[in-house]
Amino acid sequence: MTFLHPVVLLGLAAAAIPALLHLLERRVPPEAEFPPLRYLSEAERQSARRLRLRHVLLLLLRTALIALIVLAAARPLVPAPTAVRRAAVHQRTALVVILDNSVSSGVVVDGRPVLDRLRAAARASVAAAAASDRVWLVLADGVARAGTRQALLATIDSAALSPRRLDLTAAVRDAARLVNAEPLEGREVHVMSDLQRTALGPGRAGVTRGIRVLALAPTSEVPANRGVGPARVSDGAAAVPIVGTPGARPAAVTVQLRGREVGRGLAAPGSTVSISLPPGGPGWWVGEATLDADELRADDRRVFAWRVARPARVTASGGAGPFVAAALAVLEQGQRVRRGTDVVMGDRLDGGAAMSVVMPPADATLIGQLNRALAARGARWRLGSAGTPGAVAASAVAGIDGIQVTRRYRLDAIGDAGRGKGEDSTVLARVNGEPWLARDAGILLVGSRLDTAWTALPAAPAFVPFVDALVNRLARGEAPVSEVEGAPGVRFRTHGTDTVGAIVSGPDPRESDLTPAPAALVRDVLGADVLDAAALGSARFAGGGHGDASGPLLVLALLLAAAELGVATFTR
Amino acid sequence: MADTARIDLLDPADVARLGGIEIVAAGVVEGFLAGIHRSPFRGFSVEFTEHRAYQPGDELRYLDWRILARADRLFVKQFEEETNLRAMILVDTSRSMAWRGAPARLTKRAYADRLVAALALILLRQRDATGLITFDEAVREVVPPRVRAGQWARLVRGLERTPDGGGTAAEAALGRLTSLLARRGLVVLVSDLLFDRDLALTALRYLRHRGHQVIVLHLMDPAEAELSGAPEVRFRDPESAVSVVVRPRELARAYRETVRREIAAWRTTCRRHGIAYHHVLTDLPFGMALRMLA
Repeated sequence: MTFLHPVVLLGLAAAAIPALLHLLERRVPPEAEFPPLRYLSEAERQSARRLRLRHVLLLLLRTALIALIVLAAARPLVPAPTAVRRAAVHQRTALVVILDNSVSSGVVVDGRPVLDRLRAAARASVAAAAASDRVWLVLADGVARAGTRQALLATIDSAALSPRRLDLTAAVRDAARLVNAEPLEGREVHVMSDLQRTALGPGRAGVTRGIRVLALAPTSEVPANRGVGPARVSDGAAAVPIVGTPGARPAAVTVQLRGREVGRGLAAPGSTVSISLPPGGPGWWVGEATLDADELRADDRRVFAWRVARPARVTASGGAGPFVAAALAVLEQGQRVRRGTDVVMGDRLDGGAAMSVVMPPADATLIGQLNRALAARGARWRLGSAGTPGAVAASAVAGIDGIQVTRRYRLDAIGDAGRGKGEDSTVLARVNGEPWLARDAGILLVGSRLDTAWTALPAAPAFVPFVDALVNRLARGEAPVSEVEGAPGVRFRTHGTDTVGAIVSGPDPRESDLTPAPAALVRDVLGADVLDAAALGSARFAGGGHGDASGPLLVLALLLAAAELGVATFTR
Repeated sequence: MADTARIDLLDPADVARLGGIEIVAAGVVEGFLAGIHRSPFRGFSVEFTEHRAYQPGDELRYLDWRILARADRLFVKQFEEETNLRAMILVDTSRSMAWRGAPARLTKRAYADRLVAALALILLRQRDATGLITFDEAVREVVPPRVRAGQWARLVRGLERTPDGGGTAAEAALGRLTSLLARRGLVVLVSDLLFDRDLALTALRYLRHRGHQVIVLHLMDPAEAELSGAPEVRFRDPESAVSVVVRPRELARAYRETVRREIAAWRTTCRRHGIAYHHVLTDLPFGMALRMLA
């Protein structure tokens, strides 16, 4: 039983008033002479039992009367019968309903999408809210929507499958903070989700005491699912990872290119299938990987994109060193580069080149000359003092993270940009947190010579791909293909008339694993009670539909008052 | 209309303000006798001797109706005048008698004094020898029964000499009284009867056994008949100093029933032993109290 105005319960102390009055009244009664005391004693002796009973009865009635009035004033709420639950009231509550309409909720169980079940439960929670409640609705996008009950119901009804993944831990944490800030008696968070294990983010929701988190239990039978992960193209082949329920049977993967099937493979969740792509001319290509249909269709198709670029025409000056020359020779042999002057690599700045990859000269006395040349070209970076050795980190080039650098110059920012936003936008790799590889004004400036005396990179397998990336991608300003969460598709980034990159969208791979989290884990991470629909209906709003018992209590108090009057009058 | 002007029918407290016991008693007796136009105690001083056949002219009130009913013959009762009737009035002067329930009323003792003085005056006017004994836990004052002049004044002085509340328990004194009443006659006990009923009745039965005609006047203040007062009161017995805390409102009904039972018990027991019993409240006009004795 809960109370709408629990502070009023302090008035229960007033129930002691009849007993106190009884005791105080007996303290010093007035004294009077009365000769026929023998009659009085006789009358009292004969009435002793009746009077004792009367006193006890009156004391109990008056105490109960005060207690009942105080209880009625506190507006007690008791569980109401199902028949009257619609009309029942509950304490004022701040409520957040989390409707997880992420990709996984589109799975069909017993011929019906799980989202329908979640929507019905969310609808019941919002519909049961009273006008005095404060209600928010959180969908998979994580945005808390406030509004009237009708507006929220309409939002629930129109909530379709979202391509976004919902981190339940973060959502419950935010919801708890939201309701905790409301000065209402009740605080509840209702989680309508399929409770995927992968939906539970790191850490715990950390729900404070006093906030009830109720989670709808997942369906008893969850099908094994397979989905297509983010595919990538390299070396003329598409690597298509298969994600989903661990242990699920392998499924057939088909890769299509411009509507035409170009390959097919069989893979189980956790494995990657590689399918060769037909050679294509320079330009952007879009492919599609699909799986055979299963209960969750939303992750059975994924789009991927890649660019086939023309080989860069590169010249290495004498100052570039033997390792660079060797790498370019390898790339030329593999038709990744051609000889030309589009890109010049060396320790000097070639005024005729469109793009330059510049590294420090071996002679330290030439540093000043190089810096002046950089400034003349309008570059915002220059070589500074000698830096400490360290490993390459946070690079925009795959494969070189962690490679040791023993000698280097610091790259100092000059000009208007300073070390602000401009610096960040052009730094491609760092050593000890300081810029090591930076790009600006058609110049790629490296803090170390590409020589084993300066860095272990020339001896690493990643050196040739690194040089390839320098001349084909970084120096020419190519953007990589980026992956974002969303409906399967691809968008191209353009700069003027040039296409400079692609954004491939698709569902989060974690959505494909439909394995529900155990109730104990949900309780531990979210602090939630996992309840089926019926139990949730009874438990919502601090115990479900509650009736205001103040009316019956007042009637009972009235009856007690009448009984007290009767006893006081007719037992004299 | 004439009765309302009579002093014997006025409120006793108002009458008491007219003067001392003698004045009040004399006034009461005058009014009382004027109201009934004959001696109220006729027959007190005569005794039945024999029957004789009815003759025309005889008063019908002397006709013996029982013989007429049994034998269908007319006989009249003949009486012998007794010139030495002795009336002894016993007045309880215990502490409880000096109590009144309201300032506007007489104490039971004051009421008893005036009533007894009036009764004695009536008896003396009939030439009956009248005496007085006052007592509380002991016999306090004894005025032997006489008919001579000045007897009434002696009786009144006897009443006045006895202080209020001389004692607490009258049972022992009642026992001693029997020995003082050697010759049979009329015994009138005026008391609030707040003592053990069985012990008192033992003494009264003994008197009755000795041939006395016994009358008991049970005086009671109206406040003793109905319990009232503050919501909670500590009542204390002035004689025993015993006290008890009660709530008058919740005990009133039980108390009223107890008093009613006590009066009924006195009346029943007295009747059973041939003792006349009269319950008199102290707000009853003296004339009406005397009429009970007539």
